[in-house]
Amino acid sequence: MGVFVFLPLVLPLTAWPVARLAEQRLHPRTATRLLTAVAAVMAACSAVCLGLLMVVGTAQLPGNPLPDGWSDPEVREAVPYDEVAGKAAIPALCAVLVLCGRTLWRHGRTRRRAHRALTGLRGTQVAVLRDDVPYAYALPGRQRGRVVVTTALLDSLEPAERRALFAHERSHLTARHHRFLLAVRLAAQANPFLRPLRTAVTYTTERWADEDAAQAVGSRRTVAHAIGKAALLSRGAAPAALAGFAVAGPVPRRVAALLGPAPVARRWPSLFTTVGLAAWGAAAATAVSAMSSANAAVTMTLILYAATPL
Amino acid sequence: MAEQRGSRRRGQGELEALVLSALQEADGPATAGWVQERLGGGLAYTTVVTILTRLLAKGAVTRERAGRSFAWTPASDHAGLAARKMRRVLDAENDREAVLASFVTGLGPDDERLLRELLGRPGSEGDD
Repeated sequence: MGVFVFLPLVLPLTAWPVARLAEQRLHPRTATRLLTAVAAVMAACSAVCLGLLMVVGTAQLPGNPLPDGWSDPEVREAVPYDEVAGKAAIPALCAVLVLCGRTLWRHGRTRRRAHRALTGLRGTQVAVLRDDVPYAYALPGRQRGRVVVTTALLDSLEPAERRALFAHERSHLTARHHRFLLAVRLAAQANPFLRPLRTAVTYTTERWADEDAAQAVGSRRTVAHAIGKAALLSRGAAPAALAGFAVAGPVPRRVAALLGPAPVARRWPSLFTTVGLAAWGAAAATAVSAMSSANAAVTMTLILYAATPL
Repeated sequence: MAEQRGSRRRGQGELEALVLSALQEADGPATAGWVQERLGGGLAYTTVVTILTRLLAKGAVTRERAGRSFAWTPASDHAGLAARKMRRVLDAENDREAVLASFVTGLGPDDERLLRELLGRPGSEGDD
């Protein structure tokens, strides 16, 4: 399998251009699905390759429980730089597993706690909290998700803007955006090179919900105003933990996008545009990544099978 | 029978909501004994006191000494109590962005100016 085993670890770099371009040029729905799929496949391949390297690395450790045949020179020859790569893969894979496990556990815990905090309120889809900190979010649920919004935010919005807010959060729930967000989050932990995809998907899911809201209320301008007002209101008023990252940009970019023309929903970008080229490049790299990790896995299995004394 | 088992397994949040509702039905401050009676005796006296103390810690009720026991008054309604609990959940989770897609994220230093410019710009090309 040679150096091919390392390819899936670095190929995520090829997704950077499309992560940048897709959020501006593609319909947010297409962009979210494309980027999430690319991230998921690349993360899985990179994890498989780390696993293979780890087997080689572990077999060299004295006293390991693996069959003695697995530390044969033939097995080690299959991986270039086996000493360094094999040993480095052990802590790397452990870190990936711990991080992903922790993320899943926290995800479940936060959801459970947030639902528990709402007990005692009426069981309507929209849960209104009496709070002078303005915020709103979509809380996904197994049976039914809820829209959580505080009185401070509702009081400052016009009726049409409130409808836009509710439509935005409902879109998050019906399109199950939390699954995309969780997938890219796990992918970014499996391979840090996938982080730009996570940032991009975080933005495109918001844009997707914005566009759905614009369609529901019939005015892009109303949604833009609702977002702008909510953001200006949250600034300063929100305690540090409630304000998201102070990354320059997402909110003004969302507002600007809504004030511009509606994005065209296309199934797949044409090859002869910048974004098309980037999208096809990322798709091709994903395919190469999948093939090299499959190739590495099969080769490794065959070698280990041959090396195992039966 | 099944109902009894169900009530025993009731979560803390639900019990707090129940006690708070009972307290809100009182005219003026009420004692823990009154709350227990109001709830129909389904809860032990000590349980009611425990729940009231928990509500006190959350700022949902206040109390004042009345003779040898306390008289309790609701400080906020269910929406207020839920807001306090939610705030604690949010504060405990640093990276909750993964779970809860917020309507808006924080604004950077230049974002505010940019946003005001965008919203203040008159024009109808965005309308459809």
